[in-house]
Amino acid sequence: MTTSLTLATAPVVRRWRPRPGAAVGALMLGTVLLLTAIVPLLPGFDPMGQDLRAALRPPFADPAHPLGTDALGRDLLSRLALASAVTLGMTVVIVIMNAVLGSLIGILAGYYGGRLEALITLVSNVTLAMPVVLLLIAICAVLRPSAGLTILVLGCTWWVGYARVTRNIAAALRRQDFVVSPLTQGGDSVWVLTRHIVPNVWPHTLIIAATDVATIVLITSSLEYLGLGVQPPVPSWGSMIFDGQRHLAGDPWLALLPGLVMLLAVGGVQFLSQQFTAETRGGLLRKGGMR
Amino acid sequence: MPGRPSPSVIDVLLFIARRLALAVATVLAVVTIAFVLGRATGEPGALLLPDNATQADVQALNSSLGFDRPLLVQYLDTLVGLVTGDFGDSYRLRESALGLVLQRVPATIELAFWAFLIGLALAVVAALTIQLTGSRVLRAIVGWAGAIRQSVPDFFFALLLVLVFSVLLGALPSLGRTSYASLVLPVATLATGQFVMYLRLLDAALSEQAGQDYVRTAIAQGQRRSTVLFTRMLPNAIVPVLGMAGLNLGGLLGGTVVVEVVFAWPGLGKLLTDAVSQRDFPIVQAGLVFVALAFVIVNTAVDVLVRRIDTRTAAA
Repeated sequence: MTTSLTLATAPVVRRWRPRPGAAVGALMLGTVLLLTAIVPLLPGFDPMGQDLRAALRPPFADPAHPLGTDALGRDLLSRLALASAVTLGMTVVIVIMNAVLGSLIGILAGYYGGRLEALITLVSNVTLAMPVVLLLIAICAVLRPSAGLTILVLGCTWWVGYARVTRNIAAALRRQDFVVSPLTQGGDSVWVLTRHIVPNVWPHTLIIAATDVATIVLITSSLEYLGLGVQPPVPSWGSMIFDGQRHLAGDPWLALLPGLVMLLAVGGVQFLSQQFTAETRGGLLRKGGMR
Repeated sequence: MPGRPSPSVIDVLLFIARRLALAVATVLAVVTIAFVLGRATGEPGALLLPDNATQADVQALNSSLGFDRPLLVQYLDTLVGLVTGDFGDSYRLRESALGLVLQRVPATIELAFWAFLIGLALAVVAALTIQLTGSRVLRAIVGWAGAIRQSVPDFFFALLLVLVFSVLLGALPSLGRTSYASLVLPVATLATGQFVMYLRLLDAALSEQAGQDYVRTAIAQGQRRSTVLFTRMLPNAIVPVLGMAGLNLGGLLGGTVVVEVVFAWPGLGKLLTDAVSQRDFPIVQAGLVFVALAFVIVNTAVDVLVRRIDTRTAAA
């Protein structure tokens, strides 16, 4: 399925029309961000301290541990807050790395064309045709899993979407008068790229990044669930759910709570990004369709 | 499109040749990554022998496994192995790595196949119902439920199903592959994810078709809406969706790996994750290459088929 891109002159955000989904999304994501920001300031914050006498306390039973404790007696609320900070922080870094890398590659390919573009198209086609998640699992497992490795590997492999879209836009812009005319009058490419190409491309990068956040959280937490990522005792959503799985029959909240926080965060991002894409689509991007 | 010449045999052959070249490049890339991974952690001798083995023993094992040869020779050997189907023996089990991989394939295909089929079938039914009734409420409900399903990873949705159907109701098994009942939960986990994805694609494609001139003309001529939907719009809408399905196979396989771990399903994913943690590289290599090959073959086949069926993309 091919979609050709045509550029319209409408501004990126035309009119702010809040959708019901956006309010719900903001509320969901806000809850998680609040949890991440406020809990570390509370007096009882201790995500690592073990207390085997207070193990497996249910939520709302012990004022010292508002959400209960895990099998080692560690405070669940503290661990949830730290896990959220860890996973969300990693996700943000990974998404920014991919967005910058992919957009840079795409802009250069679209602007200069030629062999560079052919090479990049080949690389991205090959990447698209690979079982990337399987490879990620293998790479992260073989090279001694750590948070840094996950960031490095995911941060350098999920850029094809950005490169494809930005390449198309840069190639379309390349033929526009306002890009060609400075070049005919002696302007250099760096000036054209920074003044004319990048400002027209980055809103699209932002759209992809917004929808990518959810995907990256889901992939990182799957890696964490498999034990590939942040290593214990530092908590993450995936590893907390994995630990909680063993107590599913007696103490299901151990797995349910981190899952709920993840649902709030990812769902919130998705609802918010739908608002975002709805605002921008049709303004800059008009899909050619198949007529 | 009027006036466009139909593609000649040469065009079609060229297209297939280009797709094949891409397929070969992809498999080569995966083999190379697998090879680099296998060598990146050093030689396997020290890992495989007990701690009290002598240095001489370790070296003897390394050279018997071929690790003392130049890297280029080892790499070329791997490439030859790819053609002849010889990936060496598993370090731990002393059996052909490819044989071990092939033993596990049916279990994985079973999961992926049913998940794909059920997910797609339900998506078609739901998308057609939305179009036929024109119900905004139905679309909103399905949309919200889908968004929530997409907001949790497969492994957590799987745990929720286990909690409800195994722990609370005691109705379905949560581990292993013993009976048809043990298929239900893993397939349900994967199928719901597939369902949401295909429903979105189909609904968008059908809605786009609904605005086309031929639909308006057909309805103006007095054809029934359901007839137009089933005989005209659905075939047009479903072909690009099937094309996407080929690309999404990778996602489905990736999801299957994790779901297999959750349910202790004895498939390829379980074998690969176990092999990775035991540093059993022949299995990792054989498994990765097998998956890449299967993936590339299905992708190429779907691509060629879609172009064959869908005249809109035939000349592109």
